[in-house]
Amino acid sequence: MQPCGQSLFAPRPGNRPPATRLLALLLLLALQGAAAAPAGSRTPEDSEWCQDAELPQGLLLQAARAALHFFNFRAGSPSALRVLAEVQEGSAWINQRKERKVDLVFTTELYSTEEAKARLGKCSARVFFRNEKPRPAVNVTCTQLIERQKRQEEDYQLYRHMKQLNTPLDVVSIPDSHGHIDPSLRPIWDLAFLGSSYVMWEKTTQFLHYYVSQLSSVKQWKTNDDAIDFDYTVLLHEFSTQEIIPCRIHLVWYPGKPLKVKYHCQELQTPEASGTEDGSAVAPIELSNF
Amino acid sequence: MWGLLIFSVLLGGVLGKEDFVGHQVLRISVDDEAQVQKVKELEDLEHLQLDFWRGPARPGSPIDVRVPFPSIQAVKVFLEAHGIRYTIMIEDVQSLLDEEQEQMVASQGRARTTSTFNYATYHTLEEIYDFIDILVAENPQLVSKLQIGSSYEGRPIYVLKFSTGGNNRPAIWIDTGIHSREWVTQASGVWFAKKITQDYGQDPAFTAILDNMDIFLEIVTNPDGFAFTHSTNRLWRKTRSLTSGSVCVGVDPNRNWDAGFGKAGASSNPCSETYHGKFPNSEVEVKSIVDFVNDHGNIKAFISIHSYSQLLLYPYGYKTEAPADKDELDQVSKSAVAALASLYGTKFQYGSIITKIYEASGSTIDWTYNQGIKYSFTFELRDTGRYGFLLPASQIIPTAQETWLALLTIMEHTLNHPY
Repeated sequence: MQPCGQSLFAPRPGNRPPATRLLALLLLLALQGAAAAPAGSRTPEDSEWCQDAELPQGLLLQAARAALHFFNFRAGSPSALRVLAEVQEGSAWINQRKERKVDLVFTTELYSTEEAKARLGKCSARVFFRNEKPRPAVNVTCTQLIERQKRQEEDYQLYRHMKQLNTPLDVVSIPDSHGHIDPSLRPIWDLAFLGSSYVMWEKTTQFLHYYVSQLSSVKQWKTNDDAIDFDYTVLLHEFSTQEIIPCRIHLVWYPGKPLKVKYHCQELQTPEASGTEDGSAVAPIELSNF
Repeated sequence: MWGLLIFSVLLGGVLGKEDFVGHQVLRISVDDEAQVQKVKELEDLEHLQLDFWRGPARPGSPIDVRVPFPSIQAVKVFLEAHGIRYTIMIEDVQSLLDEEQEQMVASQGRARTTSTFNYATYHTLEEIYDFIDILVAENPQLVSKLQIGSSYEGRPIYVLKFSTGGNNRPAIWIDTGIHSREWVTQASGVWFAKKITQDYGQDPAFTAILDNMDIFLEIVTNPDGFAFTHSTNRLWRKTRSLTSGSVCVGVDPNRNWDAGFGKAGASSNPCSETYHGKFPNSEVEVKSIVDFVNDHGNIKAFISIHSYSQLLLYPYGYKTEAPADKDELDQVSKSAVAALASLYGTKFQYGSIITKIYEASGSTIDWTYNQGIKYSFTFELRDTGRYGFLLPASQIIPTAQETWLALLTIMEHTLNHPY
């Protein structure tokens, strides 16, 4: 892959990753069993791409976020959710459609642990930010943070707690205004976060990223069948617009099984909009395509 | 039991606006039926205005009665004349009520001193404004309260001035809570205010700072927004001004300053969280600070505090061109961030707004820097997204403590590099 030529960009000194790291990355990707990339993803032709030595500010971070959301979603494990620790290295390629492909290595921590010296996991990923179908395509592998058996046990524990919970339909705002989550309601929050990971993966672009601010309401919490059937609204905080996006999410979860998610996020109110709600208030959502 | 009775009296007092000064509560012991009857006679004398808490029933059953001050003499004489024993249960009902009121208020958590104030919890606007008054009252030589304006909805906008004298000394400005949902910032501002009064005269480095410079601290920079986060929407960011021609409310006070106003990095959509407003300084919350800074004329460092992301930022946000003092600002940031991390290991990144966070036009420190205030910084405090705006209250004090170390670094540098 050549650095981007004059037809696209002004020439700059290359910033090639050392051969050893590239090799390690390729090996990792080769060793991966079933491909983690979603079906129908386009593998770009080599000749389309040139190396983006400029590395726009924050691109590696964006890629890490997308990769991590996807990882959390695919793992389907509310007890083993991860958050980003640090981006260690990365490089990017750009094509003529201004789509970008990013290879990177980053470290992670467990979401549920807040120790200062938390154990770090390491991930390597390839993230493809596309134009027409904005959902980034992700290939990601991470070193193990929790031993597989332990993780399964903890998921099952969470599952049992969830089955025992009284239907929390009157639950409003987790965490509360003071950032507090009642320990008995923690499993709900973890599951809500897991479902949100799917949404945040799909919505993350080169320029926009998300955090879960709050679980604002629970529409349904069904545990009488085997799986947990959970219908709820989260408030996502969007960077760099600073918007609060309410997303209605409906998920079905059973430990060890792939997570099933449907969602609908509210669009930003346009200046011409009629109605009485404020721009960023939590307004009722129309679920026409739910 | 007493509580219930007291409460009903209190309720009556509150509702009826009566006072009970000098009223006494007597416990009457009746030994036989004749005595019971005699007390019932008393009950019938309406002009005495007796209030029986426990009425006459049978011999051996105590009778409790509240006697208004004008009737006390008459009642006692009556009882003594008929050989009916009594004791004084409550010497003065009003005193007891006052005492209880104080206790009720205290147990509600309303602090009376800055030593009993709970810094490890989030407070309402009223509680913070009370705190401010108490702090000033406790430290009249050091602290004064200035009102620099009124918010859109008419709330006073207060700035605390910390000064050991002089006349218009070079000054440091710190503001918190310009974005109302960033609750850890107002809470930290409260902690800083107390810290200043504690450390002056105790910590040599800080004493040197305050002996030569003044500090201005605006704790609730957006009071309307803050009140709204308590009453209605915890995640409200902007002011609460009405925009004609739109149903949407509020302007982003950190896009409303006259530096690159309206350029890329702010929105012209009133419904957006980064709506810049119709013109620079359209927001009274912003204009008040602008006027203050201009009138003062001697502010040397300006620090605006936000959350979250764990960043220390210097200008610019509206353009990629580096400020003339970039190298120095970068050095100061590096030291400040190191000082911050020294306490709990909290990692901050630093750099210009446009490179570290995103393009933002009309932001506070771009304006202050362009006015000649060289040491213009913005903080983004804890955390990096785990809790975001809803940072657990248990993290307030650690956040304030570590941030203070960074502020000290900046203040010291300002002191040692006059310009």
